[in-house]
Amino acid sequence: MISVNKIFYALSILLLCNSAAYSQDSFDEQYNYAQSLFNEENYFDAVTEFKRLLFFDMSEQYSFSANKMIGLSHKQGAKFSDAIRYLTLAKIQATTSIDIYNCRIEIIKINILRRTISKALSLLDSLSNDPGFRINIDEINYWRGWAYIFSDDWEKASQSFALIDSNHFLTTFCDSVDNDLYSVTLAKVLSHIPGLGHFYTGEYLSGLLSIGWNVLWGYITVNSFVEDRVFDGLMVGSLLWWRFYSGNLQNAEKFALQKNLEKTNSALRFLQNNFQGERP
Amino acid sequence: MQSKLILLFLFLISSSAFSQLDQFKWKEAFISYEKPSEFRDREYSFDSENPFDFIKKSFANAYWFFISDVDGDNCPFRPSCSSFFMQSINETDIFQASMMFFDRFTRDMNFTKALSNYPKVKSGYYYDPPQNYTLNRSKIRYLPSTYVVDE
Amino acid sequence: MIKIIFNLILIASTIFSQTDSFNFQSPHNIKLFADYLFCEGDYLRAAEEYEKISTISDDTINFKIMISYSEIGLYQQSNLKYKFQPNSLLTNDARRLFIKNLFLDSPDSYYEKTGSELFPFQLDSLSLNYRNKLISISFLFSSVENIPAEEILYPFELQERKIILSFYDQKKDPSYKSPLLAGVFSTIVPGTGKMYVGEWGDGITAFLITSLFAFLAYDNFKAHHNTRAWIFSGLGAFFYGGNIYGSVAAAQIFKARIDFEFNDGLKLYLEQQNYFLPEYDFCK
Repeated sequence: MISVNKIFYALSILLLCNSAAYSQDSFDEQYNYAQSLFNEENYFDAVTEFKRLLFFDMSEQYSFSANKMIGLSHKQGAKFSDAIRYLTLAKIQATTSIDIYNCRIEIIKINILRRTISKALSLLDSLSNDPGFRINIDEINYWRGWAYIFSDDWEKASQSFALIDSNHFLTTFCDSVDNDLYSVTLAKVLSHIPGLGHFYTGEYLSGLLSIGWNVLWGYITVNSFVEDRVFDGLMVGSLLWWRFYSGNLQNAEKFALQKNLEKTNSALRFLQNNFQGERP
Repeated sequence: MQSKLILLFLFLISSSAFSQLDQFKWKEAFISYEKPSEFRDREYSFDSENPFDFIKKSFANAYWFFISDVDGDNCPFRPSCSSFFMQSINETDIFQASMMFFDRFTRDMNFTKALSNYPKVKSGYYYDPPQNYTLNRSKIRYLPSTYVVDE
Repeated sequence: MIKIIFNLILIASTIFSQTDSFNFQSPHNIKLFADYLFCEGDYLRAAEEYEKISTISDDTINFKIMISYSEIGLYQQSNLKYKFQPNSLLTNDARRLFIKNLFLDSPDSYYEKTGSELFPFQLDSLSLNYRNKLISISFLFSSVENIPAEEILYPFELQERKIILSFYDQKKDPSYKSPLLAGVFSTIVPGTGKMYVGEWGDGITAFLITSLFAFLAYDNFKAHHNTRAWIFSGLGAFFYGGNIYGSVAAAQIFKARIDFEFNDGLKLYLEQQNYFLPEYDFCK
C-alpha cells in the first residue's frame, strides 16, 4: 500500500509542474506566432500580429522587440519610411545599449538601401562619436564602407574597409572596381580635342564621327571668315560648329558615366548575389 | 524616463501623419542594389510592317546615328524632337506630322519654356507627347506642371 | 490536515494560472484591436479583423467594414458588405455610404446608374435626396450639356447651392479659347494665336522665327541667291504652317486644362464637404 506521504508529495509535484506549464505567458505565444509568420516571409500578417501584441501589452514588455520586428517586416516589403519609423520607436523603447545600437545600425542599413547616403553617413558619424560604441568601430566602418559603395565612391569605400583590415575582401574588391572606372574629369578634359574623350572611353566610331563633323564645320566657318562672308561664318560657327563641339564635350562625359555605371552595376550585382558577408 | 516618454509621444504624433495607407496585402519586395540608368537607349532596329515603315526607320536611324547622337543632348523635351516626329507619323500622316514637328521645334526654341505648363519626367525633361497635338480632343491628356511622369 | 490545505492551495493556483492566459483571438479582443486599427487609419487590417467577427450581427462592425474598404478605394467590395436591416440605427448611414461608393466608382457616369436594381434596399427620402445630390455632381463631372440650373441645384441645402451654382456657371460658360480664332489670328500675324491662348513665350518665338525666315528668303531673292532663297522660303512656309497648326492645338490643350482644373476643384470641394456626409465619431 502506498503511503499517504508519498501520495501527497507526488500530487504536490504534479500540481506544481501543471501550474508552471499553464503560467507560460500567452503573450509569449503571440510573439512566437508573429515571429513564425516573419520567418515564413509572411510579412504583412507578421506586422498585424506584432501590432496585436503591442496593443494588448499593457506592461510594454514587448514594446522593443515587437516594434523592431514590425520595422524589419516593413524593410522586407521595401516600405522604408515605415521601417525607419518603427525601428526608431524600438530604439526609444530599448533598455540596453546593445539593443539601441542594433536599432541604429538597422536604420543606417535602410538609409543605405534607399540611397539616402548623406543621412546614413551622418548617423554613422554620430555612432562613431558616441563613446558608448567605441568597441563597435569595426562594424561602423564596415557599414560606412557599404554607404560609400551605394554612393559610388569606391575609393572611400575601400579606405573604410581598410580601417578594419587592409586584406579585407571588400577592400581589394572596391579597389579593383575603382581602378577599373574611367575618370570623368579626364574624359571631359581630353574631349577639348574633338574625339579624344571618345577614344579614351573606347567609343572609336563615335569619336571618328565627332572629329569629322567638327573638322567639316570648322573648315566651313573659317573659310567663310576668310572669304569675308562674316554672317555665314557666324551662322555656321554658332549654330553648327559650336553645336557639334559642345556635343562632343557632352558625349565624352556621357560615355564615361555610362561605362562607369555598367561597371558599378556589375559590381553591385556581384555583391547582391554572390557576396557571402553581411549586406544591408 | 520622462524625456523618453515625451520623445515617444512626439514621434508618434509626427510619424502617424505620414503613415502609408495599405490598399493590398503587400509581400516581400525585391530590393535591387543596381542604380537605374538615366541614359537614353536608342531603338536602332529596322523592324517594319511595310516598305514605307522601313524607309522611315532607315532615315530615323541614319539621323540618330550620324547627327543626333553626335551633337549632344539638346532637346529639353521627352520624347525628343526626332522621336516626336516619328511618333507623329504613326499617329497621323506625314504632312500633319510635319506641321506637328515644326510647331514642336518652335516651342523648343522658346527660351522661356520653363514658365510654360509642361509636366516633367523623372530625369527632369519636359514631357510633351505627340498625342496632345493630333487635333483629336479625345487623345489629349492634360497633366499639370507639378506632375512627374514615369518615363 | 496541513497537507490537504496545501494541496488545495496548489489546485487553486493551477486553476488561477489557467484563467490568467490571455485570448488574443476572442471576439471581444479582436473588436478592440480592430477599433484601434480603424482609428489609426490602417483600414485594410481593420477590415480583415472586423471580417473575422462580422458573423456577429453588429451593425457598427458591418458599417466599419464598409467604411474601411471605401477609404482604401475598394468601392465595390465595400458595397458587397452591405447587410443592414431597415430598422437598424445605422441603416441610413450605410445606405448613403453605399450610394457614395457607387458614385466614387465612376463619378462622371454615375448619373446613368439610376436603376433600382443597383440598390439592395428601398430608397427612402433621405437616401433619395443624397443620391440626387450625387447625380447633380455627376452631371458636373460629365460632358453632358444644357442641363437647367434648377435640375442641378434642387437637392442641395441653401448654403450649398451658392457654391454648386458657381461650379455650374463655370461648367456652363467655361473660359475656353476658340481653336478657330487662334488659327485665324496666327494666319494673319504669326504667333498671335498662341498669345491669344496665353502662350506668350511660344507666340513671340513663332513670330520671330517666321519673320526671320521670311526676311532671309526676301534678302536672298533680292541678292539673286535663288537656291538659298527657296530653301529659306520652304523652311519659312513650314514654320508658318506649324505656327497655325500649333495655335489650334494650343487652344485645344487650353480647353483640356480648364476641364482638368474644374474637375480638380470640384473633387477638392467634395472632399472638404466629406461628400455631404456627416463625420463619423467612432474614434472620439
